[in-house]
Amino acid sequence: MSSPPEHFSARGREHLDEMTCLLYVERQLERGRALEVSAHTQECDACRTLLQALERESRLLTRAMLEEEEPLPARLGAFRERAKRSMQWVWLLSFGLAASGVYALYTSYVEPLQQRLEEAGFGGSSLLGLLIFQGAFWKGWQAMVSLIEVLAVVTLGIFAAVLLRRRMKRGSAMAVLLAGLCALLAMPMPAAASEFRKGESAEVRRDEVVQGDVFLTGDRMRVEGTVKGDVFAFGRALEVPGHVEGDVIVFAQSARITGQVDGNIRGFNNNITVTGTVGRSITEFCETLTIESQGKIGGSATAFVNSFTMDGQIGRDILAFSGQMFLTGSVVGDVRAKGRNLDIASSARVNGRVRFEGEHEPSVASGAKLAFPVEYTHYKSRPEYTRSRYYFWRLLWTCAFILYGLVLIHLFPEFSKECVGAAQNAGASLGLGLLVCISLPIAAVLACVTIVGSPLGILAFLVWLVTLFSAQIVFGGLIGRWILGPAQDAWGQVGRMALGLAIIGVIVPIIHQVELLEFLVKLAVVLWGFGAISLALFRRFQPPSSMATAGVAPATPLPAGTTVGGGPAA
Amino acid sequence: MNAPGTTEAREVIARAKAGDAEAWGELYRQHAPAIFRFCRRALPTREDAEDATMEVFMKVREKLGQYDASRPFTAWLYRVAANHCWDMLRRRKIRQDKETEEVDELPLEHPDPNQLERLIEQRTSEEVRKALEKLGTRARMALVMRYYSDMSYDEIADALGVRRAFVGVVLLRARHELRQALEGMSALAAGGAR
Repeated sequence: MSSPPEHFSARGREHLDEMTCLLYVERQLERGRALEVSAHTQECDACRTLLQALERESRLLTRAMLEEEEPLPARLGAFRERAKRSMQWVWLLSFGLAASGVYALYTSYVEPLQQRLEEAGFGGSSLLGLLIFQGAFWKGWQAMVSLIEVLAVVTLGIFAAVLLRRRMKRGSAMAVLLAGLCALLAMPMPAAASEFRKGESAEVRRDEVVQGDVFLTGDRMRVEGTVKGDVFAFGRALEVPGHVEGDVIVFAQSARITGQVDGNIRGFNNNITVTGTVGRSITEFCETLTIESQGKIGGSATAFVNSFTMDGQIGRDILAFSGQMFLTGSVVGDVRAKGRNLDIASSARVNGRVRFEGEHEPSVASGAKLAFPVEYTHYKSRPEYTRSRYYFWRLLWTCAFILYGLVLIHLFPEFSKECVGAAQNAGASLGLGLLVCISLPIAAVLACVTIVGSPLGILAFLVWLVTLFSAQIVFGGLIGRWILGPAQDAWGQVGRMALGLAIIGVIVPIIHQVELLEFLVKLAVVLWGFGAISLALFRRFQPPSSMATAGVAPATPLPAGTTVGGGPAA
Repeated sequence: MNAPGTTEAREVIARAKAGDAEAWGELYRQHAPAIFRFCRRALPTREDAEDATMEVFMKVREKLGQYDASRPFTAWLYRVAANHCWDMLRRRKIRQDKETEEVDELPLEHPDPNQLERLIEQRTSEEVRKALEKLGTRARMALVMRYYSDMSYDEIADALGVRRAFVGVVLLRARHELRQALEGMSALAAGGAR
């Protein structure tokens, strides 16, 4: 601030510029310059008035800022050893929840299922396989208790992310997480080289031998030759008249296995027909599954189908969830079926037990060779809300969500606030929620289909799942905010969220009697919350902006011409 | 350099440094209101200010050993608070970093002193506080550091990461922004009254 004071001419008279005046008022000018300014202001009324105005402005600013217009918030009344302790409680609770969830998950589902899965041919698979197939087998997904476990696992994931984020920069943390996930996915994969074939007609020719796995994508896919590894097929129609030494994983409208598959068949199709030989097991999610009379399955058959016709041979058990099941072939092991109808023809032969749970008594032809009489359990469909269990699970569900919300709010208080704030914009939230909620899983599936992008696809799916679980928390927070107003702190947010969730917990059983209404309300809640989270994320990733609000003009750029301290104008 | 209502208590500080919980509590009680107000003025929301106050004192407790007792405690405290708030704004991505360093020039204009007088005269403290809330982060932060906590130009330059010579520019620009905000509020009020 040592430049000489700047003068400039106005109406024929020299005046000091405002910067010099300010520096003088602030006592930032060197003594010599300050004396010059002082001398000038003795003679110049305008500059003297400007100095006085600047001084008054300084005083006004200081007074306005020092005024105690609001008391110290109660939570700042004492230094927060208590805050730390309360956070420790949250951490302990969360870790407890997470640990017990993981333990329950393992002992209740994973362990017992391992055996069954191994029987069904799922011993030692890749994580991708486990995620896609084992997840589908896990009946616990449908039970409320699984929700707590899912929340626990999600909580664990969040802890990992937070721990990583605290220890390294955001970008590095994401890189480590992604690399870890990719490593997990890649580790159990076979080392053999894979081949990718795509086009309208993707095929392995009759005289061809593929040493590793083959990925087929196309309208028509055909394996006539020999594949030493697995076949992954994504397209409209697959036919396998050749020999596959590994598994056949098929996502196609129709599939026909007429040749030999030494491994397993796992598929999501409209219809699949087996007339050839399958060395191990078959697992299908489809409309129609047909095992024709020439068809042989060495292991078990597990089917989630509308119509299941079994005319061939099954080496072990059948586990079927089907609308209609026709059993005309032979089964070495047990048959466990659940559905509307079961017809056992006279040509059928079952060496193990036959257990059927369904709406209608099974029809068993007199000539059927059954080692044991059919065990039938009549399935009575009774409205869920008439059962006390329903209310117990509702309560448990609400509590689980409140705990989950509590952890989220304490981990991300700012973001939680932003989400609830975004949710106030109902139209934008619902619209964006609909868009993202639908498009994200589609994008995830597309990424998975391209195989190379499968880690990304699974990650996107997990993000979608976590957001889906968190949507209700946001909506609960919004209801709480409507009732109690904006929250002042994290605990205020938790209270509002808990109140909102409790209200949802009361309303849902009431509207449960009208299924369509319940569905629409739940859908709206999910979309609303989902959209709010998306909106808050979107705003987060917007470029940095000023705190200045609309309606106030931005500061005028300073004109060129002088320098700090009143140096000569250029 | 001291914020109003706070006193230097070397003995208390020394005891707090030595790990005396009671002395720390005393120190906190003395300075928390001033630091909360500082954060309240510098940050966008009350919740931010509350969080920042707590975090500032956590930092202060960690770094109390580094405090040079020969210098005013409140000045050190404000420096910690200023750095913390400025850092918080950076993390929130609402900090303006690319403003003044590009501007080497200053306004030559000589504002109408009488008009400025009138603008200031008619303003209440509450109006000024509302206008402050409408300022950009840097302008607001600079004014708070200078006129609330009475930080020197060197300290402000250090906290904002600008050259000392630019502190005057930042402050003058901030005053201009403030005046515009006040005028905008007046225009709005006049429009509403019509």
